[in-house]
Amino acid sequence: MSSILTPLILGPLAISMIGILIGWASPRDKQTSVDEAVKRLMLAISLLIFAIVTFLWIDLSKGLSTLGWNDYLLFDASNWIPSIGVSWIVGVDGLSFPMVWLTAFLVPVSMIVSWNEPRGRYFHSLLLFMESALLGVFVALDMMMFYIFYEFTLIPMFFLILNWGGDDRRYAAQKFMIYTFTASVIMLAGLLATYWLQGDVCGTSSITGRCFDLTISASAANAAGSSFLGGLGMQRFVFLLFLIGFLTKLPSVPVHTWLPDAHVQAPTAGSMLLAGVMLKMGGYGLLRFGLLLFPGAVIDFRLVLIIFGMISVVYGAFVCLGQTNLKRMIAYSSISHMGLILIGLATLTPLGITGAIFMLFAHGLISPLLFGVCGAFKHHYHTMEIGSMRGLARHAPWLAAFMMIGWMASLGLPLLAGFVAELTILIAFWQAYGWWVIPLALTLVLTAGYYLWSMQRTIFEGGLDGELPEGIKPHQARDLSYSEIAGFFLLTLPILLFGILPFLVWEMMANHSAEVLDLTVAKALGWGG
Amino acid sequence: MFNVALFSINQATAASMLPELTILVGIILLIVVPNLGDSTFRLPFSQARIPWLFGGKRHGWSSHPAVPGMISSMILLFALLFALGSQMGDVNPLFGPASHISEIGNEDGKPLLRIDAFSRIIELVAYGALLLAAIASMHRMPATDPESIPRTPRAGRSAETSRIQSMLDNRRQVDFHLLLLFAAFGMSVVALAQHLFVFFLGLELAAMSMGVLIAFHKEDKASTEAGAKYFIVGAVSSAVGLYGISLLHLWSGDLRFESLASAWAAEQHNRSFLAILGVTLFICAMGFKVSAAPFHFAAPDAYAGASSPVAGVLATASKALGIVGMLRILSIALPTGGTDTAIWLPMLALLSIVTMTWGNLAALDSRNPKRMLAYSSVAHAGYMLAAIAAVGAWKGGLGGDEAKGAAELVLTAVIVHLVVLVAFKVGAFLVLTMLETEGTSHRLDDLKGLARRDPILACSMFIFMLALAGIPPLSGFLSKMMMVLGVLEISTADPVASSSMSGAALGINWLFWLALALLLNSALSLFYYLRIGVVMFFEDPDRNRSLPSALGVRAAIIICAIGTIGLGVWPEPLLNFAHNAAEQFLS
Repeated sequence: MSSILTPLILGPLAISMIGILIGWASPRDKQTSVDEAVKRLMLAISLLIFAIVTFLWIDLSKGLSTLGWNDYLLFDASNWIPSIGVSWIVGVDGLSFPMVWLTAFLVPVSMIVSWNEPRGRYFHSLLLFMESALLGVFVALDMMMFYIFYEFTLIPMFFLILNWGGDDRRYAAQKFMIYTFTASVIMLAGLLATYWLQGDVCGTSSITGRCFDLTISASAANAAGSSFLGGLGMQRFVFLLFLIGFLTKLPSVPVHTWLPDAHVQAPTAGSMLLAGVMLKMGGYGLLRFGLLLFPGAVIDFRLVLIIFGMISVVYGAFVCLGQTNLKRMIAYSSISHMGLILIGLATLTPLGITGAIFMLFAHGLISPLLFGVCGAFKHHYHTMEIGSMRGLARHAPWLAAFMMIGWMASLGLPLLAGFVAELTILIAFWQAYGWWVIPLALTLVLTAGYYLWSMQRTIFEGGLDGELPEGIKPHQARDLSYSEIAGFFLLTLPILLFGILPFLVWEMMANHSAEVLDLTVAKALGWGG
Repeated sequence: MFNVALFSINQATAASMLPELTILVGIILLIVVPNLGDSTFRLPFSQARIPWLFGGKRHGWSSHPAVPGMISSMILLFALLFALGSQMGDVNPLFGPASHISEIGNEDGKPLLRIDAFSRIIELVAYGALLLAAIASMHRMPATDPESIPRTPRAGRSAETSRIQSMLDNRRQVDFHLLLLFAAFGMSVVALAQHLFVFFLGLELAAMSMGVLIAFHKEDKASTEAGAKYFIVGAVSSAVGLYGISLLHLWSGDLRFESLASAWAAEQHNRSFLAILGVTLFICAMGFKVSAAPFHFAAPDAYAGASSPVAGVLATASKALGIVGMLRILSIALPTGGTDTAIWLPMLALLSIVTMTWGNLAALDSRNPKRMLAYSSVAHAGYMLAAIAAVGAWKGGLGGDEAKGAAELVLTAVIVHLVVLVAFKVGAFLVLTMLETEGTSHRLDDLKGLARRDPILACSMFIFMLALAGIPPLSGFLSKMMMVLGVLEISTADPVASSSMSGAALGINWLFWLALALLLNSALSLFYYLRIGVVMFFEDPDRNRSLPSALGVRAAIIICAIGTIGLGVWPEPLLNFAHNAAEQFLS
């Protein structure tokens, strides 16, 4: 039995390689036409993937909403490196499917938005490469396969930042790569320790007698309870290694400094995918590995998660207030919103975890719009400074409109997707910890504050004619191009859709968190560690 | 002690020694072929002249500069295929059913040479690296200073001058490739040896040849200096190793590995000081061979002075010899009972941490790509030493029943790492070879804008760099991960049943932190590997001339790149082979 997910990962990988090779082989005088052809091919492929994944959603939504714990749809397992117990295992459940759909949706949209990037034959090929790696991360159910794809995403992103980034791109790209790689190898240490300490649970004939199969490890962890990995203390230690890796990716406050640099320097499509999907890998990893393998450790680390989450939320929001660079402000607002995921996880209630998953999903839809708008602003007005441009609504009504939609969605306006997530997390946190919710709720006001303030300074002020940045004449003040309008419009649709009808995706998430909590965390609470 | 009847070997033995015999044939061919000429031999008391073929006026083809290179590459290729074929499948397609293991010089059941998967895979490493070096050197070995040779033949140049020039080139090529083949033969002996002194002979043969190869570019002062440094430091370390061997001989009276191992095991509770000192001195000598800190000081100079293909061999095949030596001596000195702590464990663990950290820190700071690669190979030696040290910890009492699996895993990891290093380390040096053809590759700036001048080369180089850094799914990742796995297996063999995290973290065997040091060092090394990528892809080239076509080198680079990716994505056959080798080594 083979799964459609395997060609879904490997297909775009192969086609993106072909695109890059075509780009190389093309003669110098034909490069413009090659650019166009390769770009169309990449867009067509990513749209095809999007169509397939959407169809799968319709097909699977019922199954995903009733899936049991540690069960997966479209499951397929085959040998990869049997000598050390690495297999090719793919499957989706209520946690990963929304992420898969998100990836499949964002890649074509970011291609459309940045249709006019120079050297499109490489740019769009790299985006498709990125899609393959990201899909691999979300459908992998083998720990080593997960790690391989997790690191694989760095390579296209490194090139995207380095080749199409801003003035300081070299510093940003290297910092991004080394920072996240270091965190990942610490996670790898945890992963390998899990591999060893779980013992002989696989019954494979590998040299070591062990395997990286996550589903088997999860069952073993559930069956062994507090004696998994030899004891609760070891579980905590290994979870700490995982936590360091995922908190850096998320990122949470003490280890967040790569993100603003990477975002400010990255090209628009790079930022969109970075904020939209790559950050989600951290949250996804915590929800996947933390809850499946180390429920006891998660319970013990609740306070740590809350502290890091709280600091991220509050600190991120305060830093946003002080930013003068539009993209930097949004990068810090990402950090602030990602803190809420830690808060949602720390509640350890079905509602809180569903909220965290929904936050991953909603922020994955909203932040690309924010970064897309910023990128368009930078593209047309050659500046990122808040206040160097006033009266945007007059010069570029489309840009101003999408900016407003994005800002409103991000600050949590009801009927938009972000609101559902924030509200859920806050309610769950209130249920679990009572009045400690107050600093979080107040931070939402702060969020509204910095967004509205920056909006006021950018879109509205400046009198009837507005103020243009230095060096831009009024006749040069352009509005969005058609491809940008199309892309932003596409991005707005699901924000509205899932804001008004959240149950479309809610059920599978709620089912997943309820199942996981019932069978792992509820049980672990009884260990009395 | 040496009454081996080498000439009484039977046909089956000869067949199993096919790769080594091929190398010998190659050495003879390299001596004979360039000397073929039209000389004749006059029969005494007559006018009849019999063509004697040796000497006289050389033929055009026999004095062609490319001939020695072709001979040595073909010979090495055949040797490689024979060595591979001898371990492939149950039925060998070339020679019918063959036993995969054969022993030579059997005296009361203790052989002098042993052919099995382990020795064959080490030979594959050696032949592979040397083959790539031979192919790469075909294009760039003029007899005179490259600066003084006009790029196009001068109009007035006589046919005689160019014939002489071509013959001089040919002579120089013969010297170079002859030394390569001698090094190959020495390495084979090292791989096969089951006797400490035979091992040492092979090691010295290889080391002497490599020393001359390093100093081969006599026009270049740096090259001569590098050769001298390598030779002197190597001689001192050999002397130390030889002294260790003599102590062991004094102690046991028989230097065959099996005898030494049983003597060591017999002394479990009453260890002789002679034995310990002998083993320690030998390990120090091997430390030089793998260029472990603090024995690594000659390495960066040697690599920077040698031509790039030779430096590639130094970083892979020569290093493999040291690792083999290390493994051989350690498998002797493994305390078997489990009550005895391995004496060399703390020594190796410390050595490995110092080596990998020192190598990486020094590489961070070097602006010369060859020195950077040299220091990176120091760091890689550290990784391998860490894995080997773990076996010691296990033998020292950790691990218990799963012990054998652990040792097999670590050995497999080290062997796999040695094999894949040939792909991406030699590959990286070959890219530098291409740059050397237009002058220097001694500055990082020479790599500037390589992507614009030659995208295929730049991409291959980037792949090699990522593999060196251990980015999945390239082959460097897999071997590094397996080494960490080996260390982890042993350190977590009996987890402390502590309910508090700090208790578990502190109670965990300290080898766990060795694994973490290994991982963090990989992350640290990423910085300088990435810098090469950044320089190649994102800086403007100083000169815009396109690089020479040098098809042989290019083909070798592409093979290396394919190997780097292929062995990472589909490593199963290699893992099986290496696991076989590890099993046979330990049995």
